[in-house]
Amino acid sequence: MATRSRYLNTLFAGYALIAPPLIILVLLIFYPAGQAIVRTVMTDQEVGIAAGLTLDRYFNFFADPIARSNLWFTIWVTVVTTALLFLVCFPLSLYLRFSSSRIAGIVQVLALFPLFVPGVILAFALIRYLGPRGTVDTFLRIVFNYTGFVTPYLKPSGIIFALVWDHIPFTVLVLTAGLRQVEDSVIEAARDVGASGLRVFFQIVLPLIQRPLLIVFCLNMIGIFGSFTIPYLLGPAAPQMMGVYMQQTFTDYLDRSGAETQAVLSFLICSVIGALYVRTVTRRRGERA
Amino acid sequence: MKIDPTPAYHQPTMFGYRISTRTLRREAFGIFALVALTLIIIGPMMTVFLWAFAERWRQPALLPTEWGLSYWYETLARNDITSAMPMSLGLALTVTALSAIICLPAAYAFARINFPGRQGLLLSFLAVNAFPRFGLYVTIAVVFFRLGLVGTLPGVILIQLVNTLLTMIWIPTSAFQNIDRALEEAALDVGAGRLRVFFQITLPQVFPALAAALLLTFVSTFYEAQGALIIGIPGIRTMAVLMYSYINNQIVVQYGAVISLMLWLPSLVLLSFAQKFLRGNTVSSGFGV
Repeated sequence: MATRSRYLNTLFAGYALIAPPLIILVLLIFYPAGQAIVRTVMTDQEVGIAAGLTLDRYFNFFADPIARSNLWFTIWVTVVTTALLFLVCFPLSLYLRFSSSRIAGIVQVLALFPLFVPGVILAFALIRYLGPRGTVDTFLRIVFNYTGFVTPYLKPSGIIFALVWDHIPFTVLVLTAGLRQVEDSVIEAARDVGASGLRVFFQIVLPLIQRPLLIVFCLNMIGIFGSFTIPYLLGPAAPQMMGVYMQQTFTDYLDRSGAETQAVLSFLICSVIGALYVRTVTRRRGERA
Repeated sequence: MKIDPTPAYHQPTMFGYRISTRTLRREAFGIFALVALTLIIIGPMMTVFLWAFAERWRQPALLPTEWGLSYWYETLARNDITSAMPMSLGLALTVTALSAIICLPAAYAFARINFPGRQGLLLSFLAVNAFPRFGLYVTIAVVFFRLGLVGTLPGVILIQLVNTLLTMIWIPTSAFQNIDRALEEAALDVGAGRLRVFFQITLPQVFPALAAALLLTFVSTFYEAQGALIIGIPGIRTMAVLMYSYINNQIVVQYGAVISLMLWLPSLVLLSFAQKFLRGNTVSSGFGV
């Protein structure tokens, strides 16, 4: 009897301790997201008439050519940036994994540096560096007498460049950590039987780092899709990324239901990737336990 | 999963030993990466640094034409800055403290108390990462608007709290899980009280991870601009939010450069002191890796 009540006490203490953050999670994430999803498919909820189901808000969204082009633009930027990130970060991570030289130490510090630079400062710095009459432009003019520098500022390439900059540290951190779990002996064994470098990479290394690879892929995709500061400060006026479009709809046009529809659409598009992320992390934890 | 940022200098791989062509090729890539990253990552930050100390920078010139500190005095005397700086610091401290009070007991419970549903509830905090961030903010803003929280301090505190949940729960949870239970039991056996065991045995073991979680939370909240922008405007302006208008509407470049340095240097110093806390899997455990 005594042990049973002690067990119940422990259970109660456990739930009591985790309740506060869970309440915040439910009230500030699940409730706003859930009610937004419900409201986008309801008719005239504000007026209080018995609400019916409708997809009007989504039809309106897709009927608007500006909304459509913003959505496609966001998807395009997300895919291109994620692909570029892997192109840049894979060689870097492989190098950091296999080299222990002094150069590798400095390269690692440089690659992790953007972790400590917030988006607003990055945007400001890039405008001064790559903008018209910026450092690079001036340098090319003075040293090489070259006047043909085309600035990426206020162009899609500006957004992509800055987003890659911003996501390098996290990508390198996770990929390097994953690569360090691949034992040297595994790679050497494959090399001993005559496998080429590329083959070792694709057939041995990649399958072994599948989980960190999936996690970094998902978080980058969702992070880039939901970005605001960088496209807002460095991107073109049109087309806009969804974050900028939503902010404009909410703050400038005061169209809250429109902003809500845009937000729910971005949830839907990212939900597949979000589910993949949660599943990847869950599977890993399950195996560990 | 362990990343060791310090390369093993003591391993004699280069000098005094035969250098394989593979090593040579690898280090050639290292030098290429070093140069490229310096240009891409250090270049923009150096430009900001130069602008902050430029009295005058006439085009075209590679370096400021006159140096000085007068823009520092001017920036620091501006009304918007003198009110935004205490606001930013106070807000970041409040959010970090609140987050610690709410999340740390929960992290302890997740790590040490075995209650049904523990694993699933812990994983539910991943939802923060599984939604595109700005879409989530918009749906929160719609709810806050109905509650009259837009433009108020409590509104900004709440939206910034959302960002801190995952870091403040996952990093401490994995730290509490890694504690050597045998030490605690030994202390209990020789007659130490539960509180004393907690403060003298448990706490010192998790201190580095807790410090890392607190530091990351403080710095990221201090930098957080998107949530504060969409909820805080027009009543609450933090330093990071102020940067948006300084980038878009300010002709004097130096103001933005001075604010950038003021925002950025303290945390860079703080984080480099804390490097040993940030090593290993501490940071990545906050992402579910």
